[in-house]
Order: sequence, then C-alpha cells, then structure tokens
Amino acid sequence: MKKKWVSVFMVVFLITALFAGCGQTDDTTDTSTEDSSTNDASTEDASTDDTSTEENGAYAGELSLMHFSTSEESEGNGGSDGFRTMVTEWDEANPDITLVQNVLANDDYKTQIATLAAADDLPDVFLLQGMNTRAWAEQGLVMDMTEIINSSPYNDQYDHSFFFPFTYNDSIYGLPVLTGGTTTVVVYDQAIWQEAGYDTFPETWDEVLEAKAFFDEQGMDVVAFGNSGKWQANSCFLSAVGNRFTGDEWFYSMVDKSGAAFTDQEFVDSLQFTQDLFTSGVFNPDFNAVNNEDARELYIAGDASAFIGGNWDVSYIQSVLDGTDLYDTTKFAVIPQPAGADATTRTHAIGMGFAVAINAKLADDPEKLAAAIDLAYKVTGPDFAEYVGANYALGGLTKVDNVDLSNFDQFTVDFYNYSYVDNKACEIYDSYISSAVWDVLNTDLQMMLNGDIDPQTVAENAQASYESNY
Amino acid sequence: MLNSIRPKNRVIFAYLLIPVAIYVFAVFVPLVTAGYYSFFEWQGGPNKSFIGIENFKTLMNDEIFWMSFQHNIFLVVACIIGQIGLALLFVLMINSRLVKFKSIHRTFGFFPSTIAAVAIGFIWTMVFDYRRGILNWILELIGQQEHTKVWLNEPDLVMLLIAIPLIWQFIGYFMIILLSAISSIDKSIIEVSEIDGANAIQRAIYIIIPLIKNTLLVCVTLCVAGNMKAFDHIFVMTTGGPGNASMVMALYGYKVSFMQQNMGYGSAISIGIFVLSLLVIGVFQLGTKLLSSDKEVV
Repeated sequence: MKKKWVSVFMVVFLITALFAGCGQTDDTTDTSTEDSSTNDASTEDASTDDTSTEENGAYAGELSLMHFSTSEESEGNGGSDGFRTMVTEWDEANPDITLVQNVLANDDYKTQIATLAAADDLPDVFLLQGMNTRAWAEQGLVMDMTEIINSSPYNDQYDHSFFFPFTYNDSIYGLPVLTGGTTTVVVYDQAIWQEAGYDTFPETWDEVLEAKAFFDEQGMDVVAFGNSGKWQANSCFLSAVGNRFTGDEWFYSMVDKSGAAFTDQEFVDSLQFTQDLFTSGVFNPDFNAVNNEDARELYIAGDASAFIGGNWDVSYIQSVLDGTDLYDTTKFAVIPQPAGADATTRTHAIGMGFAVAINAKLADDPEKLAAAIDLAYKVTGPDFAEYVGANYALGGLTKVDNVDLSNFDQFTVDFYNYSYVDNKACEIYDSYISSAVWDVLNTDLQMMLNGDIDPQTVAENAQASYESNY
Repeated sequence: MLNSIRPKNRVIFAYLLIPVAIYVFAVFVPLVTAGYYSFFEWQGGPNKSFIGIENFKTLMNDEIFWMSFQHNIFLVVACIIGQIGLALLFVLMINSRLVKFKSIHRTFGFFPSTIAAVAIGFIWTMVFDYRRGILNWILELIGQQEHTKVWLNEPDLVMLLIAIPLIWQFIGYFMIILLSAISSIDKSIIEVSEIDGANAIQRAIYIIIPLIKNTLLVCVTLCVAGNMKAFDHIFVMTTGGPGNASMVMALYGYKVSFMQQNMGYGSAISIGIFVLSLLVIGVFQLGTKLLSSDKEVV
C-alpha cells in the first residue's frame, strides 16, 4: 500500500513538474541559468540587505537585466568594463533593489534575446540591437522612451546622432549604450609598409594591389580578413565601401523606405568592386573559412601586413601586442578609396549598435519603471562617459569635453584620433533595417566573394528580402 | 507471473505514464505548437496574423530549403555507405581469428562516438584548416602543393568534407550494434560453412548478412533519422557556408527562426523537416524490406 502511494506521488510530482516547466511565467529571467563552461554566461544575483535607498526608495524588489558584458569581455574592452562598473555602482547605490543579471557572450545574447522577444518574455531592462528596433516596436515589446530621453537630466549632453538606429515613427526606443566604436578600420604595420615604399597605408586600392608583389616576395598576405561568420564582410567592409559609392543619403532612404533600392546601380557597383577586390588575391586565401578572430592572429603573427576589422579587434590586438615592436609600429587607416567611387571619401562606419531598452510591460508598474529608467540613465550618462574616457580614451552617448589624452600611449591616441577626429563617420549597415534582410545579403555576399554568384543577383535577392521583410 | 507479486494494473499504468508524459511534452507538444504557428505570419512577440497555408506555399517554392533537403539526402546516403558499410567491414575483420586485441579495437572504435559533436566539428575544422591543417600539410609533404585548398570554402567539396567527421564519429556506434548481432549467430553455422569451404567474403554475404538483416534495418533507420536532423557539426564547421553550399534543413530552420526572426515560417520549415524525415525513413525501410524479401525468394 505504501509503495502504491509512493509511486502515485512520484507520477503526480513528475507531471506537475513538467506542466510547471512548460507553463508561462511573467518573470522567467529572474531564475536565469548559469552556464559559464559553454558560453561565458554567468548569473549574478546581487541581492543585498535591507537598507534605505537614495534614488529609488519607492521600489523594492527584483529588477532583471540582460546584457553581454561578461567579465572576460570586459578585460581590455572599455565599453564592457565601463558598463559593468556602472551596473555595480548602481546596484550598490540601490540596496533595496535586487538586480538579477543574466550575462551572456555576445552571439549567445543575440540568439537568446530574440527567443525571449518571440515569446514576449523579455527581461525588464536589456540591450536592443538597432536592426530589431522597428520589428520589436511594432510588436509592442519595447517601451517608447522618447519622453524618458527628453526628460533625462543629461539630455543636453547626449550626442543625438546616435539615436537614429533606435528611432521608428519619430519615437525613440532606447538609450544608446557602450562606446561609439568603428566597425571598419585597417590595422597595419607601418614598418613593413615603409619597406614596401609607402610611408602610410595607401589611400587607394590600386596602390595596395601594386604593393602585393612586394608582400608576395616576403611570403606575407597583404591584408588579413575573416568572413566565416558571414557578417564580417557586411559590417567591417561593405558598410564603408558601399558608402563611398552611394553616399549617406542612399542609406537613409533605404532605412526610411523612401525610394532607394539594393538594386540601384551605385550599390551594385560597390558589390562589383568588392567582388573584384576579394578575387584579386590581396586578402588571405582562406578569408571565407576563418573568422575575424583567426584573421587578426595572422596580423599579430606577422603573416599579414594589415588587417581589416572593428574596434573589438583593435582592443584585442592592443592587449596582445603591448610591449612588442609591432605594437609601436601598428597604425590605423581608413579603408582605401575604391576606383570609381566618388560619393564620399575617408569614411568609416561608426556608431553605437546597442541601446538600453525597457520592457513595455513595466508601464504597469511605475515604481519599477522609475528604477529601470534610473539604471538606463546611469549606464549611458556622464559617469560612464568619464570612466571610459579617462581609462580607455573612448566616447559614449554622453559627450565629454576636452578629453585628456596625455596619459595614454601612442597606440591609444592614434586609435582615438582615427575613431573620433581624423575621419568622417558613416552608418553601420546592420545597425538598421532587419536581421532577415542582412542574413540573406550576408549569405549571398560570402558566395559572391568566392566569385560563385554575380553582384546583380546578390542585389536582387537582398531587394526581394527587403521588400518582403521590411 | 504469479498474481501475488504482479503489481496492480494501475501501478503498471502509472509507471508507463512517466515516459509517455516526457515524450508528449518533449516531442508531441512542440510539434503540435509548431504546426499551429506555421499558419501565421509571426516575427515573434505577441502579434501574429493568420495566413492559412501561405508559409507552406512559400516552402514548396523555397530553393534553399529544397537544396538543404538534397544535402540531407546526400548525408544519409554517404553515412549509410560510410557508417554502416565501414562498420560492417570492421566488425567482420575484428571477428576474424587473425585479429588480436579485439577488445582494444572495439573500445577505440567506439571512442569517437563519446565525443561531443561540437568538439568533433572543431577537431575536423583544424584538420581541414588551410594554413595549419594536417591535410594540406600532408599534401605539401608529398610534393602536391598545387592540390592544397581552402577545403571548407569549396562549394563542390564541402558536403563530402562535412560527411567525413559524421562518418568517422559514428562508425564505432554501429560497430557495437553489429557486433552484438553477429555474436548472437550460432557459431556452429559459421564453422559448418568453413568446413564446406566458404571463404570470408562468401561467409559474410551468404551467412552473416542475411542473419543480421533485421539489425541492419534498425541501423539504416537510425542512420537516416540521425542524418535528417544533422545540425551541430555543420553549425561549427561552416554554418552552412560557403553561402548555402552546406546548408541542411535543421540549420536552415534555425537560421530562419532565430537569425531572421521569422518564427512562423521557421515553424513551417520544422513541419516540413518532420514530414520529409518520416517519408525518407519510410522509403528506406520499404526499400530495405523489398530488397531482403527478394533475396529470400531467390
């Protein structure tokens, strides 16, 4: 009899557990999982004892935050380090609020936040990627923060140009966060280029191709690039090269859906140029089979004279090369001007790809919303800007006057000047429009760089996806 | 069984309910919900609009999906030949009296099956690496530099190259299944055939294979089912590239659902994978049965 009841209990327990597991709750991220062995994820429950709070005294309870500034990522990466520091400071200043953080590596974050958005189960505060703004705003998932931004105590210090990717129908859906970083930079060894007869990295691709013979003799690749992830050719190359052919207005028109198309001749020309360049042999032969992390190692190991990547690659190269001869001779240049491109010159794609966004459901809980807004102000405000400015010579949403560069070495100063002073900014393509469109374009781009598909077809496929998904 | 020790029907039913409940929630519920969502245009989030069978119409004309299906079929055929064929060959060799240290062969043969697919993907990515890969190193060593390639960037070769780690990993798995089947064959039958003068090949074709026919059928079914849902190796090695040259159905469904955030169409792809997998498994089972019954008639 006893056995019978035990077995019945076990069955009921199991079925209840299964139902509970499949059931929907309003706050699943509060029980976030820890899986540091596989994806650098960590859950940091920063609960503290009951004491009074200064700014958010009205709210006491849990506030969930999801982001991708892992402790590993923050080592050497100013934006991540600054973000983590601000979150810690805010957490300590608000002891009544239990800040539940779900921290994932960047790629895992993108997948998981998209899954949570699909399930209408986003955390209270999270980082919104520019290209998701329109879709998630239409779904009512993210809060319209226009008024919150207008009433921010730091509003007059914000660089309002950064809000563009997070604006839809004249409403702003996030406070741009982390640092404004370039996604297209040529990192090169000035010493070897001087041996090749160039004082600085060439300003045109024709000159780079002329120099190829010299580097072939040295057994070096001219430029290292990695595109196995498929997004690199878009983010780290086409965003700038496309801009040189089409100019700024073409892309704004694409974003606004006001007439421009991927099939416009200027954009097809930029694709044709990109294909010709990648099939010319100027890049490492395995550019489509290695990712940017592998490609930058070619530069670090002296197997390539230059590397094209983004600011995250520069952070890594800086931390690895520090103290070596190559560190002293490493310089930065904009992507050289393509022949036939006359819309813009010396542009590099720079922006803030993510913004702090708030779950639309918080509108029902004004006290919790006030806490979330305060957190958003903190991680994007002057404290953050001053921290990353003083420690890394980087800038954020909030402008800082008179950045003191005297304490930084030449490498850092050079990269600061490259990013914010010497060159013109253009938009990062995949901060806008739609992930569906970029997935189609990026996949076709990879084939195009191999010469397996022509630029016109790539443009037509991208346009078809643009028309059906955006 | 004595009634005194036989549990009551209710108890047996309750125990059996546990796996059924797990199966229902792990397989049946997701399948039914995917079927439901496949009738909606749904980018994720609370808003979705009913569009009937539009997603399935799109699926029927989706070139990438059907190319992915062809890649799955290629994997199925390559792995039936590679995994089961080689496993059978190795089992017959191990069973030979000439082979020593049989248990070591069995253990090391099974070893790759215990490694995570993601780790296998990374190992073989290194094997195929252009600069430091062992394949290009061997080619250079034997003076064949002109044949070195960026292997995983070759659209015509990439499916074959991706099939190699899959085959390598699961040979041991099928070896174990086939070894257990062969060990159940009465030894006297083999001995009699040897006395009658049958050589090893004749013994394999006319005695061993017919006697383990049902086990082979199970192996084929497992192999087909496993390769229709291939995902992890390919995700690690090429993410379906270059372009879509190594795209398979499960990876395409993942891309559409999560990279393109098109959950409605992604659900339709999942249903497509389910239906096509059932069809392919059915066709293979039917084909194997027909082939084996023909042999019996002869």
